[in-house]
Amino acid sequence: MKRITVNGKVHTVDADPAMPLLWVLRDELGITGTKYGCGIAQCGACTVHVDGVAVRSCQLPLGAVEGEVTTIEGLGTPEAPHPVQAAWIEHQVAQCGYCQSGQIMQAASLLDTHPDPSDDEIDRAMSGNLCRCGTYVRIRAAVRAAAGKLQEASS
Amino acid sequence: MQIQILPGALALFIAVGGLAAGAQPQSAALNTFEEGSVSREEGLASWQVFYEVASHPRCANCHVGDDNLPMWSGASFGAPRRHGMNIDAGVSRIGAETLPCSTCHIAVKTFDPAINATPHMPPKTALAWQLAPVEMEWFGKSSAEICAQVQEPARTGGRDVRAVAEHLAEDVAHGGFIQWAWAPGGGREPAPHSLQEAMDALMKWQAAGTPCP
Repeated sequence: MKRITVNGKVHTVDADPAMPLLWVLRDELGITGTKYGCGIAQCGACTVHVDGVAVRSCQLPLGAVEGEVTTIEGLGTPEAPHPVQAAWIEHQVAQCGYCQSGQIMQAASLLDTHPDPSDDEIDRAMSGNLCRCGTYVRIRAAVRAAAGKLQEASS
Repeated sequence: MQIQILPGALALFIAVGGLAAGAQPQSAALNTFEEGSVSREEGLASWQVFYEVASHPRCANCHVGDDNLPMWSGASFGAPRRHGMNIDAGVSRIGAETLPCSTCHIAVKTFDPAINATPHMPPKTALAWQLAPVEMEWFGKSSAEICAQVQEPARTGGRDVRAVAEHLAEDVAHGGFIQWAWAPGGGREPAPHSLQEAMDALMKWQAAGTPCP
């Protein structure tokens, strides 16, 4: 049995410690906003936060989870979206949408530690998150817009 | 971790506990050789052994220079190239500026080669993934250049040769990158020789007066 905190709620999970966190989230806890892409940390679709830092949940064993997990469901709500989510809506970033929860979690993690990234820095942080629809130009624009929103909110 | 000093033998044994069944724990003894007991020729041969380890992709890919860009090279990569995904570890050498190494190279509680069995999955150890300090640049460096670096404590984190050898064993006790280099998993080619041979090579090289090619 393992206790993990996901989006502020404590869960007790009876699963193999080797089970990847993504499986725990989707199949054990029914939290399905986080997506399975490749299973080997090559695409970023499964990105969640552990203590605010982006991690690829598809290859993080449950037994190695130390810290509070945040998924896309815990980042913001439809009524009060996180600035990254608001910027995503404004810029209509998503096309098919499959990779977007991972993209948003990666972007939110970047802006948490780096509130005013350059385009190069955005590209470096986001290049591990693939989008098969090729929405990269809108992703970059939305990250810039979200950075602006966060700076306005803190000034 | 067990540390045992054997009476009568100048040997420090370090064994790593807590590995899953089937894992091969590395253990190594710090064997010392009396100064002057190793010929220059033998010392140079010993250096060559260590150079083959240091310059191997399992070690050199993360011992890169001040561009802070990890490399992908080795038997399964064709021509050496920059780590995919536009990875830049930054001056922090841990990716803190943009994308932390640990976003993908997750630190696990105990090093277990089985966790790295899947090809193309980012390798993991029990330490937070990072580049070696920039002054310990090995990638693309000649044997003479690496030899000069290992001789100079200012470029080894203040370690003399014995301390460098001890550092190799110490990393293993932490389930770190050095143990991983000889058990990389996922179809990756392990570093040549063994941890024991690498440590012995350093100590013999020291006893021979640290000759460089």
